[in-house]
Amino acid sequence: MGAAISARGIKPRPHRPPRYTLAIAITVALIAVLVASSILNYVYLDTVAGRTSLYGLLSIAVIALGSFTGIRAIVGDPAERGRQYRRAGIFLGLAALAWLLLVDVIVFTDSAGPRIAVICALACVPTTAFGMLILRALDRNETEPWKLVLLAAVWGGVVATSLVIWAEGLWQAIAIRTLVPGPGLDVSTAFSAGILEEIAKGCAVLLLFLVVRNEFDDVVDGIIYGAAVGLGFNFMESVSYMTNLYAIFSPEGLGTEAAGFQWYARQVLGLFFGHATYTAFVGAGIGIARQLPDMRRKVIAVIAGFVIAIAAHFSWDAWLGAFPIDKTFEIIEIHMRTLIITGPFTAALLAILFVGLHIEGQALADQYRKEAALGTGAILPEEISILMNPWPRFEQRVRALRRGGLRAYLLVARLQSAQIDLAMERWHRERNELDTPPEADDELRRRVLALRQELLAALSGR
Amino acid sequence: MVAAAVDQVRSLYRTLLIYATVSILIFGAGLAEFAYFEPFGQHSGLKVHIVGVYQYDPEHKTTIGPDSNSFPRTVVFAAVVDWPSLPKDIVVDARWYDSFSNVVGGVGPGKPDQLASQTIVPVHVTPPFHHMLPGHYTFVVQRYAGGVPVEVLGRRIVLVER
Repeated sequence: MGAAISARGIKPRPHRPPRYTLAIAITVALIAVLVASSILNYVYLDTVAGRTSLYGLLSIAVIALGSFTGIRAIVGDPAERGRQYRRAGIFLGLAALAWLLLVDVIVFTDSAGPRIAVICALACVPTTAFGMLILRALDRNETEPWKLVLLAAVWGGVVATSLVIWAEGLWQAIAIRTLVPGPGLDVSTAFSAGILEEIAKGCAVLLLFLVVRNEFDDVVDGIIYGAAVGLGFNFMESVSYMTNLYAIFSPEGLGTEAAGFQWYARQVLGLFFGHATYTAFVGAGIGIARQLPDMRRKVIAVIAGFVIAIAAHFSWDAWLGAFPIDKTFEIIEIHMRTLIITGPFTAALLAILFVGLHIEGQALADQYRKEAALGTGAILPEEISILMNPWPRFEQRVRALRRGGLRAYLLVARLQSAQIDLAMERWHRERNELDTPPEADDELRRRVLALRQELLAALSGR
Repeated sequence: MVAAAVDQVRSLYRTLLIYATVSILIFGAGLAEFAYFEPFGQHSGLKVHIVGVYQYDPEHKTTIGPDSNSFPRTVVFAAVVDWPSLPKDIVVDARWYDSFSNVVGGVGPGKPDQLASQTIVPVHVTPPFHHMLPGHYTFVVQRYAGGVPVEVLGRRIVLVER
């Protein structure tokens, strides 16, 4: 692999590994799709949505060009220029997300007006937040940074939905005009949704894997990121369906019931039995690939993850019609069809997740013991049992809070995180899964020891 | 310990491959279903003449006004089919689908001669609704073979406005 980036974000190195080339290629392809989508919005949507879409894109492109040209002209020092480029990149990324969100809001929620759209969105916030918290709780050994998990969810809600809207629309338009209505058309639509939506969502997990390798350790991380993308997508799709069906049924006085049913089906029943399960399979494939030794198996694992995700999504869309809802047993049947169609996929995913958690927990415990045996002071023997479980870790932070206030609490949190990072780094090094030099481990140890000193100072009131 | 961990990841990999194999079987089932309802080699080249889609008067069972592609939701509409434009020896039907793919009107199946008295094919308002639900409605004339529709001979899509 040659050169590489830091060991868990510590030591920048001058050259980028080849995976960045792949990440750039995927990003360029996604931007091309968004540009095409934006032009189609301008041509086919009404004035507001179309202009927002195209002019927003042009504005971001002009600002991007101005920023990068300006930095190049003004900043002479290459290191400082690199920092400025990164800052500009983050700012422009956020601007692009804001632009896509605005277009999404106009395109997906305008059918029932802004008031209903806001109510629908607010109804989906607590359930989606609950889903994110459950993911956080499941990720018990080494919790992923909130910013990355939220970024994954935002991608699912904002970017993935924008990527698929025209592709699905085009597929549907052709299918309606060429196929016999009925089960054949339903199967075609199901293939469209499965393939296009899972690729659009899966790109987020793939980019995280390629770019933020330090925070993408194994199958557990892949499932967490994938499920987060799915929850984000589910949020936007729920709001879209709720507002649209409200608009359709409200003249008959049934708008609230229609939107409420969609909310229950998508935000309660389908919160995990749906997009979260589908895209978590993409993450599982990529997470397993992360720890496989040879390129051939890595590629097969990534493809397998996508194939399972598409099949799970396809099954729901294609065979939902095989479970017609009888008014007498409506409540039971709605739950049963979810359990029968998506339940087996969710159960299969949980099996992989729990085995992954077991492997991860065992490996980290082993590395805590080995590090403690070295006597470097980075991990003390009495800390091993604390680091192995989230509840004792929390108790340790609370004890620090009582003794030294919020600063001590935060320092213990950072210390625990650095110790877990060190153990994870050791695990990957033992398995030859790193492209960083062995000195990176020493830097992690130094960071742990520095945090320990800082904590002692905080607790002793210095 | 390390070797055991490697084996465990490989076990996950094998499990993933088993799931992927099942997934490919699911795709196979989907393709088989698609091929059954959308069989290959059924293109006959036949086209039905759909005269138009008009506002419908249910009381007098007649159409009103000009051919149109959109209607307000308070109006019922109907397609008019020129059945004699089809050969006499085929089995066909005509159906209206709403935007949720529900059948909301139709005639047949039968031979064009048998359907000759039913040139006007109206949509029905589905109970308990009082008017048409907004969205795109698709009207198709389909040819049957082996008891299932295999080919669309004519199609019109109209919009019911909000």
